[in-house]
Amino acid sequence: MSFKDQIAFVRQHIRRNRLRVFMTVLAATMGTAFLIVLASVGFGLQKTIKDDILSNQMVTQIEVYSEDMTDAKADAMKKIDHVEAVVHRKSLVPMAMGELEGHTGSMNTYFTDFGDEQASGFKLAEGRFPEKPGEVIVGSQFAAQLIDESVEVEEGEEPASYEGKVIGQTFAFSFEGENDETASKTWPFTIVGVKEAPGKDWAFDGYLYLDESFMEEMESAYIAASSDNEQEDMSFTNSSVNVYADDLANVKAITQTLKDDGYAVYSVSEEIEQIDVFFLALKAGLIFVGTIAILIASIGIFNTMTMAVTERTREIGVMKALGAGPKLIQRLFLMESAWIGLVGTVIAVVISYGVSFAANAILPIVVDAALGGETGDSFKVTFSVIPWQLVLIASAISLTVAMISGWRPARKATKTDVIGALRHEL
Amino acid sequence: MIEVKGLSHSFRVGKKGKETEVPVLKELSLKARDGEIVSIVGRSGSGKSTLLHILAGFLQPDAGRVLVDGTDLTSMSEAQRAAFRLDRFGFVFQNFQLMPGLTAFENIELPLTLKGVPAAERKRKVEELLESTGLTEIRGHYPNELSGGQQQRVGIARALITEPPVIFADEPTGSLDSETEQDILNLILSLNKKYGITFVIITHDDEVAAIAKRQYRMHDGELTEGGLRHVV
Repeated sequence: MSFKDQIAFVRQHIRRNRLRVFMTVLAATMGTAFLIVLASVGFGLQKTIKDDILSNQMVTQIEVYSEDMTDAKADAMKKIDHVEAVVHRKSLVPMAMGELEGHTGSMNTYFTDFGDEQASGFKLAEGRFPEKPGEVIVGSQFAAQLIDESVEVEEGEEPASYEGKVIGQTFAFSFEGENDETASKTWPFTIVGVKEAPGKDWAFDGYLYLDESFMEEMESAYIAASSDNEQEDMSFTNSSVNVYADDLANVKAITQTLKDDGYAVYSVSEEIEQIDVFFLALKAGLIFVGTIAILIASIGIFNTMTMAVTERTREIGVMKALGAGPKLIQRLFLMESAWIGLVGTVIAVVISYGVSFAANAILPIVVDAALGGETGDSFKVTFSVIPWQLVLIASAISLTVAMISGWRPARKATKTDVIGALRHEL
Repeated sequence: MIEVKGLSHSFRVGKKGKETEVPVLKELSLKARDGEIVSIVGRSGSGKSTLLHILAGFLQPDAGRVLVDGTDLTSMSEAQRAAFRLDRFGFVFQNFQLMPGLTAFENIELPLTLKGVPAAERKRKVEELLESTGLTEIRGHYPNELSGGQQQRVGIARALITEPPVIFADEPTGSLDSETEQDILNLILSLNKKYGITFVIITHDDEVAAIAKRQYRMHDGELTEGGLRHVV
């Protein structure tokens, strides 16, 4: 019997039992849709959390810690595959001071290579990168930390900070030596660029970015200003190295290479990996619960197919008498249960996408309303996501369960005794 | 040619563990030459239906052999016997055994469908047969829309469609009135004559049995050959 004829045969039987098959397909649909929607919540929450992390950080950044970091080691990191840039910043340990038009304040200072910074995606809000000695870049809130101390401030009031334009301004820079003695030397720096404000609203960037060529000169001044007996213990700068991958996909591999080289490393991939492990377990749990729904639906398929075999005993007998082999009989019934599973799955997938879309559209509004509209614009939660992998998993489970449910009735059909079946009347 | 040698069969009856064996067929031998009409007549319970079931390969005997053109049916698997039936045998049943969900056309077409014959060829063959058996008018009717005689004609057409060398007929006129019975017997005789098909007819009715050239009588599981050829 050709495959086309087999399909026609199965369709004819389904047509004759339309209502019962419809109810069984409905049960299969509900079970599968339940599984997909349930698991989609796991996928949705995972996406929400990952998106949140990725939006707050430089996702391709890998922080490297080492007690004895050197420029040579940092340069070696540039040779790792898929490394876009390596930025070796040295933060000034002594307290740094600045003075601009009568406003003074302390600040954190970095010595860095602007070429590397640019390669890593360091962006300016205004101005340009330093080109001549004495030119510097400042953080977006640099001015806010310079205060005019001559203005008296009443209790509870904020001190008056510098509010003028910073680009093009020259300010006096100095730092404290050991024992809080201010270093004898003062450097005039001209601000030529302002760094782009950080992504997070609460992050404060009042840093001063100096070219690393200043470091040697300043360190000598620092040593000169310090008492001789404590020279060995003090350190002038602390190193921090950030490695930048060319793509998020390569962050994990670079992180692993650096770990293998003995560095302590942190990257967003580490955090995402932990989240992925948690959500993998959550999704597996949700799929398991959803599978139970499909198993319940499978009872319906089993029941329908058993009824079909019982009802058609005489027909099976006639077909066997005419020369239909056991395999053909079994295949015809398995095709019928597979059809129920397949139609149920297809409808379930369509419904699930609809439910998922509706949930993502309506639930945030409901939650926002329930919280009195306080969630604001930043409230962006994806409640449900249905990736193709979930559709594939759910379809595989649904079809497998449908086939298993139909297996026993189909086997029963093949074992139908021809003689008994021909006498069978319903 | 069908040849049966030393065929024995028993049924086990009673509760499990306390079954008793009831012998149904006792060392039977039988022959049906190509193109012959053979009848096996006997009363209810004589074992004639069991014999037919074994001849058709529905049932495996306890002992003995069933040779169809030298091929031993009893040594085949269930699937092999099914394929053999599809290829070599046609069946006519007392209760017609038509598929209720199929039209007369589709019922006749069914053995060809099972054989995997392409749709266009199936259509042509069924059309031809409908014409030659005078069933064209009822081609679109479902079995419940047909009289007993019409149903049996459809049943016979279904048996004929694969042009089998052998047709087994189990009480072919058992559900029909005497007039229709005569029509069906005439049809069998004409088909036998026209196509040279071997018919093996099981019946309790001596008059039906009488159309056969070779007649067997079944009694308590034993078979005896004999009987004269009556003119129908």
